[in-house]
Amino acid sequence: MGTDTREIADLIARCALRDRAAFRDLYGRTSAKLYGVTLRILKDRAEAEEALQEVYVKIWQRADRYVPGGFSPISWLVAVARNHALDVLRARKPQGDDIDAALDVADAGPDPEQSAADRDERSRIDRCLGQLDADKADAVRGAYLDGYSYEELASRHKVPLNTMRTWLRRSLLKLRECLSA
Amino acid sequence: MSDDANIPGEHEDELLAAEYALGLLTPAEHATVGARLRADPALRADLRFWRARLASLDWGFAETPAPAAVWPRLERRLFAEPARGGWWNSLALWRALSAAALAVAVVAIGIDLAMPRPDPNAFAAQLVAALSAQGSDVNVVALYNATTGQVRLTTISGTAVADKDYELWAIEGSNPPRSMGVIPVTQNVDVKIAPDILAGFGPGTTLAISLEPKGGSKTGAPTGPVVAAGKAARI
Repeated sequence: MGTDTREIADLIARCALRDRAAFRDLYGRTSAKLYGVTLRILKDRAEAEEALQEVYVKIWQRADRYVPGGFSPISWLVAVARNHALDVLRARKPQGDDIDAALDVADAGPDPEQSAADRDERSRIDRCLGQLDADKADAVRGAYLDGYSYEELASRHKVPLNTMRTWLRRSLLKLRECLSA
Repeated sequence: MSDDANIPGEHEDELLAAEYALGLLTPAEHATVGARLRADPALRADLRFWRARLASLDWGFAETPAPAAVWPRLERRLFAEPARGGWWNSLALWRALSAAALAVAVVAIGIDLAMPRPDPNAFAAQLVAALSAQGSDVNVVALYNATTGQVRLTTISGTAVADKDYELWAIEGSNPPRSMGVIPVTQNVDVKIAPDILAGFGPGTTLAISLEPKGGSKTGAPTGPVVAAGKAARI
């Protein structure tokens, strides 16, 4: 996994140097993951396929914005795909360009060299989500993985919008405290 | 958000960042926070916190093989080759090059006027062409001196390529490019224009540089990518 991370980071760096072979390689190795992202959020094959293409156009055009050594490269790619899919959801037409914000993650994340650290992070978020009520934890996962808005979460959990928001905001404060510890 | 009296105000930004990272906000709210992020480093730090932590949930996106049609479409979109028949038939390319050449030509003329002229007679009839192309680091200014019948090539940027040579071409209108010979781009050089090319040489002639096999194109026409081109204009 450490090697994998380094190789993906290297491919992104070569894309920034306009290396088409590296781009093809990067696509081959990461498109299944990123299609998984756009499909899960958009829940429509044609839209997810279209979004996937746009995501890789962004990756090719903005590969120079990835800063190695901070955030895991695959997380960066997932963030590009997720933000794009959310933009599509939000407007049916991408407007905001979230890639800049996605890149901001680069200098704050865990060290990608340590896959053990990744596992720790994963178990940490699972543990912290586990401290929330099950339906609140589900709501957080639903927002992140399915792109559900407050409105969708409220109708799925059959509560008024404001109740949903209050719930989730309390849960997010708890989550933040646990994740900072 | 702010109308929610149950949440202490001091945590407002932390919560906004979480909501933004999760994508919970309405499009209008999302845009408002997006605008604030640009000017608010503390809010950006909150967002980084959430994005870094939430990325641990990424394993939840199940890998699904991408449809086979995506890659060819992507490749066409990003790397579409110019129209069949060669790069010099691409109208878009020439339009782009003319615009770039004009911009550089203006600079070149500006520099020329600012320089003291030791021998005004030697500059009696001149043409200038700025040779460049998008995506290439080769930038050359060509000055044609009618008195000597030579083109002085001044390299602004450009590096030699192993096992390749740069070749200079003259193009009149829609005629095929004619070779003016292999040129070094690492040093300035005077190129004598052959009489048959000189006959049609004037304002509007396009000069182009392509990357060719060692010794120049074997076919008499450009075979490699054009790394710089520009139209000659009177100065």
